[in-house]
Amino acid sequence: MGRYSLGIDIGGTFTDVVAHDHASGRQVSRKILTTHDDPARAVLDAVDDIVRRFDLDPAGFRRVVHATTLFTNALIERRGVPTGLLTTRGFRDVLEIGRERKYDLYEIAIRKPAPLVPRDLRGEVTERIGADGRVLTPLDEADLLAAARALADAGARSLAIVFLHAYLQPAHEQRALAVLREALPQVALTASHEVAPELREYERGSTAVANAYVKPLAERYLDTLATQIRARGIDADVSMMMSSGGLTHLAEARRTPVQMLESGPAAGALAAAHFGAADAGGRLLAFDMGGTTAKLSLVDDGEPLVAYGFEAARQRRFIENSGLPIRISTIELIEIGAGGGSIAHLDALGLLKVGPQSAGSEPGPAAYGRGGDAPTVTDADFALGYLNPDYFAGGTLAIDLDACRAALGALAARAGLDTEGLAWGIHDVVDENMASAARVHIAERGKDPADYALLCTGGAGPVHAWTLARKLGIRHILCPPSAGVASALGLLVAPARVDRVATIGFRLVDGDLGRLEAGYRALEAEAAAVLAEAGLDAGAATVQRLADGRFVGQGFDLVVSLPAGPYDGGDDTATRAALRAAFEAGYREKYQRTPPDVPVEFINVRIAVRLPIEGPPVAGPGTDAGAADPVKGQRAVWFPEGGGFVDTVVLDRTRMRVGDVREGPAVIEDEGSTLVVGPGGRIEVLPSGNLSVRLPGEAAT
Amino acid sequence: MSVTRSTFDAVRLEVIWSRLISVVDEAAKAIVRTSFSTLSNEANDFACVLTDARGRSVAQNTGSIPSFIATLPATVRHFMEHVGVEHMRPGDVLITNDPWMGTGHLSDVCLVKPIFLGERLVAFASTTSHVPDIGGRLRAIESRQVYEEGLQIPLMKLVDAGRVDQTLVGLIRRNVRTPEQTLGDIWAQLSANELMERRVLDLMRDYRLEDIEGFTGEILDRAERAMRAAITEVPDGTYEYAIETDGADEPYRFALALTVDGDRIHADFTGTSPTQPRAINCVMAYTYAMTAYAIKCTLLPDLPNNDGMFRPITVHAPPDTLVNPSYPAAVVARSNTGHYVPVCVFGALARVLPERVMAGAGSPLWVFTVTGLDDSGKPFANVLFFNGGMGATADADGEHCLSWPSNISSTPVEVTERNGPLVCHYKRLRPGSGGRGKHRGGLGQDILFECVSERPLLALFMTERTRFRAPGLLGGEDGGIGAVEVNGVAVDTRKQHVLHKGDRVLLRTPGGGGYGDPAERPADLRALDQRLGYL
Repeated sequence: MGRYSLGIDIGGTFTDVVAHDHASGRQVSRKILTTHDDPARAVLDAVDDIVRRFDLDPAGFRRVVHATTLFTNALIERRGVPTGLLTTRGFRDVLEIGRERKYDLYEIAIRKPAPLVPRDLRGEVTERIGADGRVLTPLDEADLLAAARALADAGARSLAIVFLHAYLQPAHEQRALAVLREALPQVALTASHEVAPELREYERGSTAVANAYVKPLAERYLDTLATQIRARGIDADVSMMMSSGGLTHLAEARRTPVQMLESGPAAGALAAAHFGAADAGGRLLAFDMGGTTAKLSLVDDGEPLVAYGFEAARQRRFIENSGLPIRISTIELIEIGAGGGSIAHLDALGLLKVGPQSAGSEPGPAAYGRGGDAPTVTDADFALGYLNPDYFAGGTLAIDLDACRAALGALAARAGLDTEGLAWGIHDVVDENMASAARVHIAERGKDPADYALLCTGGAGPVHAWTLARKLGIRHILCPPSAGVASALGLLVAPARVDRVATIGFRLVDGDLGRLEAGYRALEAEAAAVLAEAGLDAGAATVQRLADGRFVGQGFDLVVSLPAGPYDGGDDTATRAALRAAFEAGYREKYQRTPPDVPVEFINVRIAVRLPIEGPPVAGPGTDAGAADPVKGQRAVWFPEGGGFVDTVVLDRTRMRVGDVREGPAVIEDEGSTLVVGPGGRIEVLPSGNLSVRLPGEAAT
Repeated sequence: MSVTRSTFDAVRLEVIWSRLISVVDEAAKAIVRTSFSTLSNEANDFACVLTDARGRSVAQNTGSIPSFIATLPATVRHFMEHVGVEHMRPGDVLITNDPWMGTGHLSDVCLVKPIFLGERLVAFASTTSHVPDIGGRLRAIESRQVYEEGLQIPLMKLVDAGRVDQTLVGLIRRNVRTPEQTLGDIWAQLSANELMERRVLDLMRDYRLEDIEGFTGEILDRAERAMRAAITEVPDGTYEYAIETDGADEPYRFALALTVDGDRIHADFTGTSPTQPRAINCVMAYTYAMTAYAIKCTLLPDLPNNDGMFRPITVHAPPDTLVNPSYPAAVVARSNTGHYVPVCVFGALARVLPERVMAGAGSPLWVFTVTGLDDSGKPFANVLFFNGGMGATADADGEHCLSWPSNISSTPVEVTERNGPLVCHYKRLRPGSGGRGKHRGGLGQDILFECVSERPLLALFMTERTRFRAPGLLGGEDGGIGAVEVNGVAVDTRKQHVLHKGDRVLLRTPGGGGYGDPAERPADLRALDQRLGYL
C-alpha cells in the first residue's frame, strides 16, 4: 500500500490540493476554484479527483495538512458571527477608542477600523484585578451572568471576555469561562488570556475579539472537513498550519482560530525556505508576485523570520496601523500593491505611478482582451518581450496584443514617451516600489540585501526578479521548479509548532531568577500538553526560549533568543551576565549599538517549541532525463543594459537538464511563469531542480 | 557633465523620487528603533529630510508629523547662512536646538550632515528628534523665558571633519537629567544621517548623477504647479476667522485673514494675542508648518511632502504675538497654541471650500502628569496622554478620541497602572460630547483615576477647550467642553494639585464640533447614535 501526505490550501481564488507519495518522492496536485458558500466542497472535490485520477488508496494517507484564508476573509468582509464582548466594568469602550493614533496624517475624514463588536453588544462586569495581580474587586458572578445573558439575548453567538490584567492573573477570566460554559452552552467563548496573554488591554482585547468573531465559523467548518475527509476513508488526523509556520491539531485550531489567520502566506514562506534550503545557504529573500500583490519575506538559517503581531482587515490594505491588531506569532512578510494586474497611471505631478489599484482577473490586463483598457504591468511585460503571447499560462489564454499596445500607447502619449519607453517605465517603477519596500523592511532588521538570494515564485515573480535583484544589489536568483502550488507544498514541510507567551516584568539586574525559570517552565508544560494532545512526542521537540526585552525607559520591546535554561540554582551572576549578553547581541544585530549603563528588563517570556515532521519530503527534483534541445526560438526582448531590444534565446524549462549552463540574455518559459535573465547572467540548472541565476558584477541602475 | 533637466521624464523622476523617499524612510526606521524617547518611537515625534545643496527639501519621511513641515530645510538654510557653506567639510555634522532656527522648542535636536561627492557639496542629510530630556524646569509650562527651558545649543558643529566636539558632548552630559538616553538619541540621529549619506551617494552613482539640483528643481516645480493649480480653483477673496481659546488668566484670541489670490494663499494672523510669559508661545516656523498642513489636507492630501508645494503659501504674523514670539520667549509647549492654527485655517476656508474642511477638533492633546515617590520610596513620573473627538466633515461623522493634528498614542491603562500608584476606574466614551450636526462630531472620553499611593502625589495637567468648545461648522453645533474634577469638584487645571490616597481625578476630554444643520441628519444615523448610546 502507498503512503501519502496530503496538503490542502484554500486561497481567496483557488483551492490547491497536493498529494505527496513518500515512496517515489512524486507529487500530484489539483487546483480548483474556491467554493465560498461551502469551502469544504472544493477541497473534497479536489481530493476525490486526485484519488481517482492517480488511483491512490485513501487508506494510504498518513497526514493531512491544511491552510486557509477563510478566517482572514471573514474578518475583512465582516462575515463572522454576531459577537459580544464582556470587559471589566468601565472598559467596554477600549475596543472602540483604540490607541488614538491616525494611520493617515492628511485625511480629515479618516475612519478607524470599525470594532468587530458594536457598542450595544459590549457589556461590563463587576470585577477587578490590580497591576500586581491581586484581586481588587471579586468577580460578581450574578452580574457576569446577567451581562452575558443580555448579550446572548441581543443576538451574540460568541463572546469574548477581556478583563484588565488577565495576562498576569487570569483567575477571573477562567472563572467566567467556567460559569458561562455551563450557563450558555450554545455560545462560543474566548478569554483574552487564552489567545494573547500580553500586557496592553486594547491589543489583547482586539485579538480575543477577532478570535471570538471567527470561532463558530471555524468550529463548524473544521468539523465538516474532518468528518468528510474521514468519510473518504482517509484515516489520518488533520493538522492545521498556523500563521507562525508551525502545525497544530484540530482541537487547538478550533479553540484559537485566530492563530490561523495568516496560514496561507506562512505556507508560502515555508515552501520558499524549503526550495532554497540546499542552494542559498538558508539566506533568502522570498519574493512571490501574483496578479494583485507581491509578498516579500526574509529567511535566515533556513527559517522564515517570525514576528509577534500583525494587523488584520486593514482599513487601507497597504497602510500600516490601519487594521485590527492581532498579537500572535506570525511569519513576517510585507505585502505590496504590485502585481501583474497593477494599473499604471499619471499622478497630479505627471509622474508615472503603478498600482496599488489592480485590474484583477476581470477585466484583467488589456492584453487579456476582456475589455480592460487600462495599461497594466502584464501589458508592459508583453510589450517588452518578457512574456510570450502564444504561450501565456501555458497557451491557455489568447492574448490580444493590439489591445495591449493601444492601452500602453494612450498613456505613453500623455506621458510624452514612446510605447517601449512607457512599458519599460512601468516595469521599472513597479520594481522600484517593491525594492523600496524591501530595502526599508530589510533595514528594519539590520540586514543587507546583498547577503541574500532572491527566490522568486508566483506568475509574475520570475518575470521581475532580474530587475528587482539588480535594484537591491542581490547577486543570486533562484527559481524553483514549476511551483503553482507552492503553498500547498509548504504545508508538507512544516514542523509541529507551539508558541506560548506570558507577561512577567523581570528586571535582569535584580529580578528573581527562580521566578523567571518558573515562567518558562510553565510555558513549556503548556506546550508539552498541546503536543501530547496531538499524540506527539514532546520529548523529541526542540524548545527555544525567547524574551521580549527592553532597556528600561524604551517604549517598545525587542524579541531575542536566550540561552537554554535552567536559570536558577546555578551561579546567579554568570546567569544574569549570559542573559544580558544574549539580549545585547540581539539588540546590536538590529541597532548596531547598545546604550551603556541602562538596565534591561524582560516584559514577556516566550517559547517556540518545534517538532520536525518525520521523513521530510518533497521539492521537485531536477530531471536529467530529457535529451531534447531546450531552445524554443528567439525573440526581441528589452534590456536597458543591452541598449534596448536584444535578440534573445527562448528556452523551454521542461527540456533543460541538471547541470545545463547558459549565459543571459535568455527567457525561460514554463507553464506557470517565465524567468527573464538579462545580459551577463549565468544560468544553471541545479540538482534540486532550481534554476540558479548569477548576476554580473556591475552596479545596479 | 551634469545631467540636464530635460533628461527627467515621468519614469525617471518617479523612480529616483521613490528611491529617495525610501532613503528617508529607511533612516526613519533606524531612528524609531534606536531612540529612547517614547515620543520618537511611539509618537513619531521626529523627522528625516533630504535636501539638495541649496537646502531645498526633496524628500521627507512618510510618517513624520505635521509639526515638521518645512522646518528642517529651513534649519539647513540657517546653517548655510550662519556657518557658511565654505566652512563645511566632509565629515562635518552640524547641530542646534535653537527654537527659532529649528522646530520651535529645545527638546527637538536638529542634526545636519553635509554630503560631499568627492570634494563637492551635493546634498544635506537632516534629522530632528525629540530627546528624552534637555534640562531646564520640569514644570516647563510655567517658564517665562527660554533660559528656564533647558540647554540651548547654538548653530555649531558637533563633528568637525570627523572629530567629535567633546566639549559640547561634556556640556550636554552635564546639563540633562538623562545623559545616556539623550546622547544615545543624538548618536542614533547621527547614524541615520550617515545612512542617508551612504544611500544618496549610492543612488547618484547608480544613476550617474553629478548633482541632485536638476532632479530636485524638476520635482519641486511640478509640486509647486500642482499646488498652484489646486489654489486656482479656490475662489479669490479674503476669508476671516477668529476663535478664543482657554488661555491662562485671560482667554487667547486667534485671528486669521486668509487671502486667496489667483494661485497664491497668504495667511495673516494680525489680531492674535501677544506673546505670553509662559511656555505656550509658538515660533513662526511652527505656525507656518501648521498653516501649510491644513492647506495641504484641504487641497493636496495625497502628495508626499516637499518644499515646492509650499512655495505658493505665505504666512504673516506680527512679531511678539502668540504665533510669532521673539527671543527669549518661552516656547516648550508650543503645540498648545500651534494646534489651534489649522482650526483657524479650516474655519476660514469653510466659507469657500465647505466640503473639504473639518469642524473644530477636541484637540490639542491633553497631558496628565503624576509624580512623586512610590511606596518603596523610588521617584516615578507617569506622563499620560489623552485625546478628544475629531471634528465632523462634509463626508463623515468625526472619529472618537483621535490625536489631531499631531499623532500621539494614549497610554494603555495596564501600562499606566504598572508605572505608578494609580488605579483607573473607567476609560469610556463620553456620550453627548460630539457636537450635533448633519454629521456628528467625534466623542471625547471620560477617564477616572484613583490615587492609591500612601504618600501624597503631585498632579499636573495640560488641558485645552475647558472654557471654549470645539467650534461646529455650517450650522453644526460645538463639541462638548472639557473638564477636570478632583473628588467631584471642578478644578483649575493651570494649578498643580496634591493627591492623597483615595482622591479621584476625572478627566473629560472635549468632543469634536458638528458639521451642518442637525435637522438634516438622516433618520438612520440618528437611530444608530441612539442604539449605540452616543447621545
